[in-house]
Amino acid sequence: MVAPLESPFSRARIAPSLWDPVIRISHWGLALVVLSNAILTEGGSTLHVLAGWIGIGLLALRLLWGIVGPQEARFSAFPPNPLAALRHLRQLAQGRPEEYGSHNPAGAMMAYALWGLLAVVIATGLVMTGGRTPMQVAADQAAVASGDWSALVKPGESGDDEDENEGWKDAAEEVHEVAANLILFLVLLHVAGVALESRAMGRNLVRPMLTGSDKDRRK
Amino acid sequence: MTGRTPQEARRRQTAALVAFLLVQTLAVVFFIGDVIGDLREDPQSIHFIFEALVTGALTLGVVFGALALRRTIDLLRAQEAALDVARGALSDVIEAQFAAWGLTPAERDVGLLALKGLDVAEIAEVRGAAQGTVRAQLTRIYSKAGVSGRAQFAAYFVEDLMGQGLKAQA
Repeated sequence: MVAPLESPFSRARIAPSLWDPVIRISHWGLALVVLSNAILTEGGSTLHVLAGWIGIGLLALRLLWGIVGPQEARFSAFPPNPLAALRHLRQLAQGRPEEYGSHNPAGAMMAYALWGLLAVVIATGLVMTGGRTPMQVAADQAAVASGDWSALVKPGESGDDEDENEGWKDAAEEVHEVAANLILFLVLLHVAGVALESRAMGRNLVRPMLTGSDKDRRK
Repeated sequence: MTGRTPQEARRRQTAALVAFLLVQTLAVVFFIGDVIGDLREDPQSIHFIFEALVTGALTLGVVFGALALRRTIDLLRAQEAALDVARGALSDVIEAQFAAWGLTPAERDVGLLALKGLDVAEIAEVRGAAQGTVRAQLTRIYSKAGVSGRAQFAAYFVEDLMGQGLKAQA
């Protein structure tokens, strides 16, 4: 069997030359969702909501994988540790970062920050749409387009209730936008970090997240 | 290599499990959203109860799918690790034996290529040497090893791999 890591952030092993398929799919899937919803789709549109719901699935799958997945995919292999993250960044600045069996401590903090912000964006998005599925959003929009505005009024909403609801939705919208912009900022930071780390380690860190290389796999 | 077939099969199995898992997870998310919508409207209806049951089963399916996938990935890695260990052990044995025979670095190279099954012409091409040189090196290797030729030379290490029991019976 594969030898278990003795401690989190073990120095005995280097990160896998190819991440497992669930990690890769959730990584690039979420990247696509974030980019498409930030740049391509219009907020509130069916496509925007649909991409968001796919994001829920991908995030849920990755979080489940963090509990039941293989060693280096589990949260226990890269616990959130801000002090270790700072130490790693200092080593990176000095040009000699340590090797870890999973994400390095700084990368781990980035992953948790992105997942947390994604959860916030998803939750606020659900508040804004009243938790309607993309299918319902599409149906409502089709109804409104055909002149039936009653689709905008949901049963049970009236008077003060509605005002309070609108207040919540406005607040959610603010948080939704701020968190989304924060994600884009962190994505830039993440890409820069990977580039720096790859250079300092003299090894392409993007390849293990894509297909790996035949050489690495056969060795 | 012959050892790759079961591994290839397992890799394909992994890919299939991942695809299932992905589709199932997305389906679960949409179902849960739908069920929550129904819950707000009429939690007593048969429709809601039925859908909630289906969603629960689907969620369990996702969890078990993830566990099955993990097991497959672990198995695949264990096989690769075992193969690596065997490779490493064999190369240790070969190195030690070559050193014991007092082979020169060039002879070790030629000996390794010969063990891998390359013929004289191929070895000459790989090393950029004349075929006559390679033939002379092979002859020296066989004489240092005290074997009659290539077949016995290769058998020397295969015998090691097969363990002591075979030797005792021979």
